[in-house]
Amino acid sequence: MKAVECKNVWMIYRNFMEKSVTALRGVSLDIETGEIFGILGPNGAGKTTLISVLSTILIPTKGDVRILGMDAFKNTKKVRELINISSGVRLPWGMKVYECLRFYALCYGITDRSIIEKLIADFELEEYRNTRFDDLSAGNKQKLNLARAFLNSPEVVFLDEPTANLDPDIARKIREMILQIIDRNDTTVILTTHNMREAEMLCERIAFIRDGKIIAEGTAEELKKFIKANERIIVRFKEPVKSLPISVPYELNGNSAIFYVDNAEKATPKIVLELSNAGIEVESVKMEEITLEDVFIELSENY
Amino acid sequence: MVTKNEFYAIFEMLFWPLVTLISVGLLGEFLYLSKNEIAFIIIGVIALSVVHIVQIDVTYVMLLDMWSMSLKYIIVSPMPFYRMVLGAWLFGAVRGVVSLSLLIILSSAIFNFSFELPFSSALIFAIGLFASAMLIGIFNCILILIFGRRAEIFAWTLTAIVMIFCGIYYPVTILPEPFRTFGLLIPITHFLEYFRSFYGFSPTLENPLVIGIGETVIYLLVLLITAELSMKRARKTGLVLKLSG
Ligand SMILES: Nc1ncnc2c1ncn2[C@@H]1O[C@H](COP(=O)(O)OP(=O)(O)OP(=O)(O)O)[C@@H](O)[C@H]1O
Ligand SMILES: [Mg+2]
Repeated sequence: MKAVECKNVWMIYRNFMEKSVTALRGVSLDIETGEIFGILGPNGAGKTTLISVLSTILIPTKGDVRILGMDAFKNTKKVRELINISSGVRLPWGMKVYECLRFYALCYGITDRSIIEKLIADFELEEYRNTRFDDLSAGNKQKLNLARAFLNSPEVVFLDEPTANLDPDIARKIREMILQIIDRNDTTVILTTHNMREAEMLCERIAFIRDGKIIAEGTAEELKKFIKANERIIVRFKEPVKSLPISVPYELNGNSAIFYVDNAEKATPKIVLELSNAGIEVESVKMEEITLEDVFIELSENY
Repeated sequence: MVTKNEFYAIFEMLFWPLVTLISVGLLGEFLYLSKNEIAFIIIGVIALSVVHIVQIDVTYVMLLDMWSMSLKYIIVSPMPFYRMVLGAWLFGAVRGVVSLSLLIILSSAIFNFSFELPFSSALIFAIGLFASAMLIGIFNCILILIFGRRAEIFAWTLTAIVMIFCGIYYPVTILPEPFRTFGLLIPITHFLEYFRSFYGFSPTLENPLVIGIGETVIYLLVLLITAELSMKRARKTGLVLKLSG
């Protein structure tokens, strides 16, 4: 069974006395159960809108969404019992950590306090159980919000930028906490992020979204194929160069150039030789693997 | 709901009703109103205070989530709107009962207002008031779901407007048309009328209790359906996200 199926989803925001905004333009996605699926895209691409539609918070202008085989807008109550979302950290400011979890647990009809205790332990919030939301640090606010998102042991959980605006060490810690919980329950995760490394580390498959459209989808490896090479060679010249007599694809930038190749170790000697034959003096050579970031930039700019 | 700062909750529950009660009571003495007239007004003040307290708790279902930008987490839970309203209302009713008892005790202590009617009738009166408060609370929630932040401005105004026409300080029959009809369409009017009939005020309306309950039930149904529809609409237009972080 598929965790999420969405077909040709359009979302047009229509606010009172404001211009309407088309945030999703025909998005289709299939996500398998047990998968960790990443949604990547630049600011304003429609990531938050998409997961809000998938989690039944928004009703799309057009299109179908099925969650765990059920129509999300006909079986909304049943679907909501099986999913949860964390999107933006804000929670009622006056509630203390424990109170807050208890309150949202009651919204799910959960009265078993041991579930709350377990999440407080999982997200290392023991120390703060009587701290008001407002007085928590950014990292702890995020932890509380994630703990809330796991209250009903969701089968499918949507996480909107779970580590945005956090210090790298706290971000890593939070990633570990999330991984631990989803491993234990075999949860399907759909997460959005700006952080390429995070996407590469966590996600089995990734979709790139831009201007409300999915422009690429696949594993990190598959996506890297969008840059028609595996590795790149960055060559610095002693003097600025106008053109290069070389057949490999490259980007020239004054006194440096980037060459895109499949195997940098093999290609480098050849390129250096060709350059010196053409009378271009090389100052330094650096080899790098293509990262998801290159794909991100390429897709954001050129598709 | 549980969300509120306890101090604030208690303050709100005790302070303002007290201030209003005492000032109106003293005003009555100053104007040399008869015992009966003072009783008439005090019943109104008590009702108004209690309705206000309970109403606020129901409005908070939306208002607090809007203020704290966390509305989406309530929406994404399977809890239906009416259950949330009911929960908030029960909580409000507890505060309402405390406030009501206090006001009655105080008004009898300070102004010799005697509270002597059958317990069952008093209970019906209280429930009527609490139910009316729920209606106002749901109405406020609907305003928020339609107008978003802009609703804050007139959410409280509406309560005040309703109060003018429901005959807190005077029988609605003195109002000119069309306000009189408007007043008669408000359930609180009838509950007040019912309650005052125990204090020897000749009823100006017929069957106040039946009409009051009937109106309440009809309005409750209409408002709950409207709330459901406006929630759907807010999910379609994207307003729910504007009320979330
Ligand atoms: N409630 C709303 N009403 C109107 N327009 C909105 C609303 N929410 C988002 N938008 C607009 O829809 C578009 C997509 O926004 P969305 O928040 O989905 O992007 P995003 O990919 O999550 O961006 P970010 O990376 O900044 O979080 C943007 O142009 C945004 O301004
Ligand atoms: Mg976003």
